[in-house]
This record gives sequence, C-alpha cells and structure tokens, in this order.
Amino acid sequence: MIEVRGLTKRYGEVLAVDDLTFAVRPGEVTGFLGPNGAGKSTTLRMVLGLDAPTSGTATVGGRPYADHPAPLRAVGALLDAGAVLPGRTARHHLLALAASNGIPRRRVAEVLAEVGLDGVARRRTGTFSLGMRQRLGIAAALLGDPPVLVFDEPLNGLDPEGIVWIRGLMRRMAAEGRAVLMSSHLMSEIELTADHLIVIGRGRLVADTAMRAFIDARSGREVLVRSPQAAALRRMLSAAVQVREDGADGLVVTGLDTAEIGALASAGGVELHELTARQVSLEQAFMDLTRDVVEYHTEHAPDGAKETVR
Amino acid sequence: MSASTMSAPAPAAGRATFVHCLHAEWIKIRTMRSTLAVVLGTVAFGIGLAALGGTAAGDEYPNLSAADRASFDPLAISLRGYLLAQVSLGLLGALVVTSEYGARTIVGTLTAVPRRTRVLAAKAVTLIAVALPVALLICLGGFLVGQSALADAGAPHVALSDPGSLRAVLGGALYLTLAALFGLATGTVIRSTTATVTTLFGVMLIVRGFAPALPGALGDWTVKYWPPIAGGQIVTGYRDPDLLAPWPGLSMMAVCVAVLLIAAFAAFRRRDA
Ligand SMILES: Nc1ncnc2c1ncn2[C@@H]1O[C@H](COP(=O)(O)OP(=O)(O)OP(=O)(O)O)[C@@H](O)[C@H]1O
Ligand SMILES: [Mg+2]
Repeated sequence: MIEVRGLTKRYGEVLAVDDLTFAVRPGEVTGFLGPNGAGKSTTLRMVLGLDAPTSGTATVGGRPYADHPAPLRAVGALLDAGAVLPGRTARHHLLALAASNGIPRRRVAEVLAEVGLDGVARRRTGTFSLGMRQRLGIAAALLGDPPVLVFDEPLNGLDPEGIVWIRGLMRRMAAEGRAVLMSSHLMSEIELTADHLIVIGRGRLVADTAMRAFIDARSGREVLVRSPQAAALRRMLSAAVQVREDGADGLVVTGLDTAEIGALASAGGVELHELTARQVSLEQAFMDLTRDVVEYHTEHAPDGAKETVR
Repeated sequence: MSASTMSAPAPAAGRATFVHCLHAEWIKIRTMRSTLAVVLGTVAFGIGLAALGGTAAGDEYPNLSAADRASFDPLAISLRGYLLAQVSLGLLGALVVTSEYGARTIVGTLTAVPRRTRVLAAKAVTLIAVALPVALLICLGGFLVGQSALADAGAPHVALSDPGSLRAVLGGALYLTLAALFGLATGTVIRSTTATVTTLFGVMLIVRGFAPALPGALGDWTVKYWPPIAGGQIVTGYRDPDLLAPWPGLSMMAVCVAVLLIAAFAAFRRRDA
C-alpha cells in the first residue's frame, strides 16, 4: 500500500534519507523505528509529497500521493501534532480540511467524538494541552476514512489512557484491513502494537522484518530455570552447556531449549519452579541493532549501550 | 493475520476540486482571528483619518498661499488612509500564507491538497473576496466622510459625480486589493510574518519617505515609477507633471504584483513544505 523505492533526500551536506526501499502492507501495523535524526520524518514527508525526493519514488496505493483525486480519502496522516492555528477552534480546523476534500461536515463531528474531543470542539486550539492537540491531529487523519494511515510519533504527550487508546485504535485500523505506518521511540508500545518493523539508521534501511522474528533473532538461546535444587541442577548441566547463576535459586542456561532442560531435570529428579525461554525486549533488540547507527548519543548511556558511538 | 487474504477498504469515490479548496480557504480566512482585527482596524483608521484630515486641511485652507491653494487636493486628502491600509491589507494577504508556516498548518494544508497551484490560487481568490469589499468600504467611506469634513470647514471639496472622484474611489480600492496580493506574494516567498511585515513597511512607506532624498536621476525615477508610489497616484486629483498619471501608475503597481505572484507560484510549487 505504501511503496518506497530507492528514496533519497539530501539537504546540502546532510544525507537525510539514503536509498531507502520498503513496503508497508495492509492489515498490519508497521512500526517505523530509528534513532533521532535517522530520517523517519523526512521519509514520511516525501511519501506525502511535502518534500521532493532527491531521487527515488514513493507511492501510496500504486500512485504518487499527489495524484490521488481526494488525498484525505486515500491516506490519513499525522505528521506534526502542534500544527494548529491557536486562534482557530478544533471544529473549524477540521471543517476546513474536510471541505478541501469534499468530505461531508458530519464526519467532523464523528471524528471529534471518536478521539474524545467532542466536548471541546468549539474551543480554540491554543488552549489545548499537548495530548488534546495530538488527538486533534489523529481526528484529522481519520477524516477521510482512509485505507492507509501514517503517524509520526502519535504517542507524544498522551497520557496512559491515551496511549492504550491509540494502541487499540491502531490494532482496530489494521484489523479492518488498513495499512498503518507509525513511528515512535516508545519501544514498549511498538512492541505491543506493531506486527512488522522497519528500522532505519542514518537514512539507511537497517531491518525490515516481522516483529516476532526481529525479537527472536536477537533473543539468543537463554533459558531461565528456577529450582530449589539449583546447585544439583547446575552440576548436571554445566558438564554439557554454559550455565550461570541468577540469584539463589536461579540458573541461566545457554545451549539447551526448555524441553531439553525439562527432560534432564525430570530424569535427574530435580524439582523445577520456573522454566522460561528468555526474550529480549524490543528496546534491547533495537538498541543492540542500532548502536552503530545512532546519530546523537549520550556519553554515559545506560547499561547495554555503553560503547561510545561516533 | 494474513494480509493477502484481506482487502483494504477502497478510497471512497469523489474528486476534490478547486471549489472544494476555495471553500476550505474561505473557512480558514474567516476563522483566522487576525482577519477581523485587520478589517475592523483598517476601516476605522481609513475613515477616521479622512475625517480628521478633512477637518485639519479645511481649517488650514484659509491660510494657504496661492500656490498651495492651486495644488490643494480634496480627493487625496480624503483618501490618505490608503497609506496605512495598503500595509494592513498587505499584512492580511501575507498572513494567509505566513500564518500557515508559522503554525506549521501548511503541512496539513498541503497534505489535504497536494496541488500547490490550486492552494495558492484559492488563497488569492479568497483574499480578493475579503480585501476588495473592505477596500471599497474604506475608499468610499473615506471619500464621503472626508469631503463632508472639508465642506464643514468651508474648504474646496468634490462630489462623487465630479470628474475623477469615482476613478479615485474605485481605483483606490483596486490599489488596496493589489496591495493585499502584494502581501500574499511576498509572504509566500519569505514565509515569515515578521520579515514580510518589515518588507511591506519598507517597500510601501519607507521608500516613499526617502525617495525624494535619493540623488538625481535615481530619486526622480523612484518617485515616478516605484510601484506603490506610482500606484498611489490613482487617489489624487491634482496632477503633478513629474509623476505618472493615475491609470498608468496603477498599471505599474499591477505589473509589479503580477511579477511577484508569478515568482510566488513558482516558489510555492518548487520548494519543500
Ligand atoms: N529541512 C531540513 N534541512 C536540513 N536538514 C534537515 C531538514 N529536515 C531534516 N534534516 C536532517 O535530516 C536528518 C533526518 O531528520 P528527520 O527529522 O527525518 O529524523 P527523524 O528520524 O524523524 O528523527 P526524530 O526521531 O528525532 O524525529 C537529520 O539529520 C536532520 O537534521
Ligand atoms: Mg521525526
């Protein structure tokens, strides 16, 4: 539904997007990840025809964005939630957008209700909180009931209830068969929301993969075992594989899967209280992957990202 | 979930047209708070200045020399409010675009209507729809109020049916509408509200003030051909032989605005949002 081929954008010396090729499929939420300055927003702006690519193409539903007869009915986008005229009411903000695409006025009331802003429809947006503006931006994206949705950091400024709401909204949009592309730095949220990931760093594609595969590939083969007879179990296992202690009753085993460990424990008469394959979080997997392509980093990064990066 | 087995909702039918875009721009200019402020302020100032100017000029008239009496221009006195109105309507024209860059709503506008020529054309048309009636109100109101103030003071005055009066009132309104488009074009190129306002002040008022002080031919040329000075001849009754006549003067301004608009359309189409 969104297809990007060889997309490149150069701002003077800065190569913001570098020969990017990927596709965003319908029926899925695709997380668009990358460190600050990776080129996510620039890519989305080119997809929406706001910035002209230096080279390459981007199409939505098979044609360049600008060629759609009524673009808001083809793609809904939230690029910059702060982008409202403070003196204009929420309702007028949406009415103007709806009018430009021949979308009936009643849709304005519908989307305002959908994002929970119906009570403040006639208030000037200058009085809105960050989260309310974010909701207004999402309402604008939904106006044309489009089959493709593009959100650049839609979670910024949302309260926990709002974040859960967005998660549900994205999931529902994808379940309805829409293509949803969403950038965010909140890995825990992306992990809960996205089916597919596109990761970029310094403008280049770093990963284009299903979420599960992305995490599994980086999870290693560690298994956590808890047992009141941890020492005995350790003696049994350490002959064959690598084992390290994790607390008084825990072991982290590398080299055997859960079934094999369970079988060995059972054969040796060792009682088990926990047996889990360890999964890294998306956050950890993301940071491992992008460590070398981080544009702006902190000198004293938290654990797991201690290396100094150029 | 398999994506291939699921068909996404197809985009609903219906093609967005220029009229849709015009409607959107109309909603926007109507709901921009500065629009009302500029309109009310400009009308009040234009007509107020005509009343004050008429009274003051009328009171001075008896003390004028014969030469000054010969160049006494009741038309220009009543329409002097155009000097500030051109800047404020120019500001309105600029705001139609610069407010969108300032608040970044240009992103939403161009996402909704990626055809940029259409967007800028719709902005120009709605601007004219606001600026022209306001300009007519200022010029006609200023004329009537100013002439009656002159009459009350016993100074020479003219009627709307007198030669040149209608030309000055209607032509003055056209000039102010051109000034609004001048602001639109300049704002589109510059994008920043403050920088555009500074430019408008410079081009429309400061050059006018300094032009006579410029040396020799440059000064003569500027006083005669500088578009806002030349265009301003449309509201005068007294003819200075060193200056352009009313309609050629207004044409000078019109050509200048046309060139700026062409540049604005080119820049708007070409540049990143
Ligand atoms: N208009 C511009 N002029 C010059 N450089 C730009 C411009 N827009 C973006 N850049 C540069 O392009 C690079 C990519 O920026 P972009 O905003 O796309 O990153 P991002 O992935 O969205 O980052 P973030 O996560 O911080 O939002 C950055 O180095 C940025 O400085
Ligand atoms: Mg960004």
